[in-house]
Amino acid sequence: MSGTWITTRAWLLMLPLLIVMVAVIGWPLADTVHLSFTDAKLVGTSGSYVGFDNYVRLLSGNAFGRTLFTTTFFAVVVVTTEMLLGVLAALLLNQQFHGRTLLRALLILPWALPTVVNATLWRLIYNPEYGALNAALTQLGILSDYRSWLGEPGTALTALIVADCWKNFPLVALIALAALQAVPRDVVAASFVDGANAFSRFRFVTLPYLAGPLLVALVLRTIEAFKVFDIIWVMTRGGPANSTRTMSILVYQEAFSFQRAGSGASLALIVTLIITVLAVAYGTIVKKVAGSAA
Amino acid sequence: MSALVVDHIRKSFGDVETLKGIDISLESGEFLVLLGASGCGKSTLLNIIAGLAEPTGGDIRLNDRSLIGVHPKDRDIAMVFQSYALYPNLSVRRNIGFGLEMRKVPAAEREQAVLEAARLLQIEPLLDRRPSQLSGGQRQRVAIGRALVRNPKLFLFDEPLSNLDAKLRMEMRTELKRLHQMMKTTVVYVTHDQIEAMTLATRIAVMRNGQIEQLGTPEEIYNRPATLYVATFVGAPPMNLLDVLATNHGLLVAGSETVIPLPPALLAKVPQGRNIKLGIRPECFRADAEGGLPLTLRCEVVELTGPELILSGSIGTQRLVATLSPRTRAASGTDVTLALDTEALHLFDAESGQRLNVD
Repeated sequence: MSGTWITTRAWLLMLPLLIVMVAVIGWPLADTVHLSFTDAKLVGTSGSYVGFDNYVRLLSGNAFGRTLFTTTFFAVVVVTTEMLLGVLAALLLNQQFHGRTLLRALLILPWALPTVVNATLWRLIYNPEYGALNAALTQLGILSDYRSWLGEPGTALTALIVADCWKNFPLVALIALAALQAVPRDVVAASFVDGANAFSRFRFVTLPYLAGPLLVALVLRTIEAFKVFDIIWVMTRGGPANSTRTMSILVYQEAFSFQRAGSGASLALIVTLIITVLAVAYGTIVKKVAGSAA
Repeated sequence: MSALVVDHIRKSFGDVETLKGIDISLESGEFLVLLGASGCGKSTLLNIIAGLAEPTGGDIRLNDRSLIGVHPKDRDIAMVFQSYALYPNLSVRRNIGFGLEMRKVPAAEREQAVLEAARLLQIEPLLDRRPSQLSGGQRQRVAIGRALVRNPKLFLFDEPLSNLDAKLRMEMRTELKRLHQMMKTTVVYVTHDQIEAMTLATRIAVMRNGQIEQLGTPEEIYNRPATLYVATFVGAPPMNLLDVLATNHGLLVAGSETVIPLPPALLAKVPQGRNIKLGIRPECFRADAEGGLPLTLRCEVVELTGPELILSGSIGTQRLVATLSPRTRAASGTDVTLALDTEALHLFDAESGQRLNVD
């Protein structure tokens, strides 16, 4: 069989998938790019060409900068906390103890819950009138009066961060636990005989095996955290006073609340660009790490 | 004073008893090989000596100090693993020096020790590489180097050569022997390879089902196996076993008319009327029939390997194998008379499998 035929056949076999991808990703993307250069409204006018007006207005406005900062802050804090908690949980669940299997199963629960359920649950916990958090804190004497955790600009973002960490650290823990089980027992045994303490053992034995999988978790979680929408939409809708407004919320508001389809599309493209840069950067790092480990 | 004393060590996992009271006493500088098939408990015993597993009962003493409850790092032992167990993201230099680094030995002193070990193992050019950049043989040298620099009282080896190819395994075996002769440190070495056991050991403990079948020098294990198991486990091709019955004239091979005539003094000590297994190592047959006990067998297959000729034949219904000089003339389908020395006969009680000490 000639090389050209093999290549042709490969393309033929991929063709159905390519058609689907062009239809559901390529075409909408092209349409969004087109839309972003118009002043189209969501209903009614299809808009006229306005060049880079949408981009200039958005990038020079207050909302964009502030939202980008909120999103970055949210992503950095959430991902860092989830990585730390996840690795700690995995280390703990990798020990031998009674009830380990049950605990491992329970660990998955927060992550397995639909985000909307999780968000509703946390909204109940944070409820200013009958929330469990208020009850616990006042009964412990830490707080004198009930507070509206999601209603105050100072606490809303933190409250969201806690909720998101609770939901997503199990994913990191699960990936880390799988990696921990791949650490060769002999190397661990050798470190015991060599006299390594717990920290050295983690640093020189465990971490090298954890690094690759954790990097994958980091990539996944950073990108997800950057485009976070549902948990925030259910809990605060970006408020109060836009204190929890992230990029995806801003896109939604622009396109659907204010019905400005053209500038909504521009904003969506900016978010896509940022995420693409992140993904490519991470991809390069992952390749490098994988290369040095081989 | 014994360097290492293993005093009635027992180990159970739940209801399963993997070690049923092991007793070993080693002099300083001895090379003990724990030999046995997988699952016999030899690695468990090694892990207990290393401190990686706790025994259910018994005591381990190194230079008269009990090791029970002592952390592996404080036992003054070094261990080499089958999988090499190198630290993947450290250079060869730091891998070798890791034990010293953890013990806070000053950098200059550490470097000196690492260089010396590297020179001894001929891996100096590899010091700045990572384990992933080394071949299997090189990795094993690094693993041995890591044990050497510690200058421990006891070396433990857990099947260190079984991941290497045949040629490299032979080279490393010689290398290990050379190192041991030079360092004179006490060694406990686990393997299922009888050639490794025979060539390296000053003493071999053949283990089976969590017990020691026989503990002795390689010569004793080979020449005077204490049980049927030891007799067949050591030696390749394995020892021939024939069912025989002691009669007034000699040993009657079951299922045939053949009687192996024994000298009267010897025959007198053989219990009459008991089922006996007669063991003969294939390499103990001689083609020249003069001056030995004659044994005629039907030659079935002849294989010339180069250095020797392997003859497979039978006496009645019982099969046996002889390895002879390549110059031997034998044709399949004919009767061949071979000679045996009385020392080549091993008699075992067929029921208990124990050696009958008749000589």
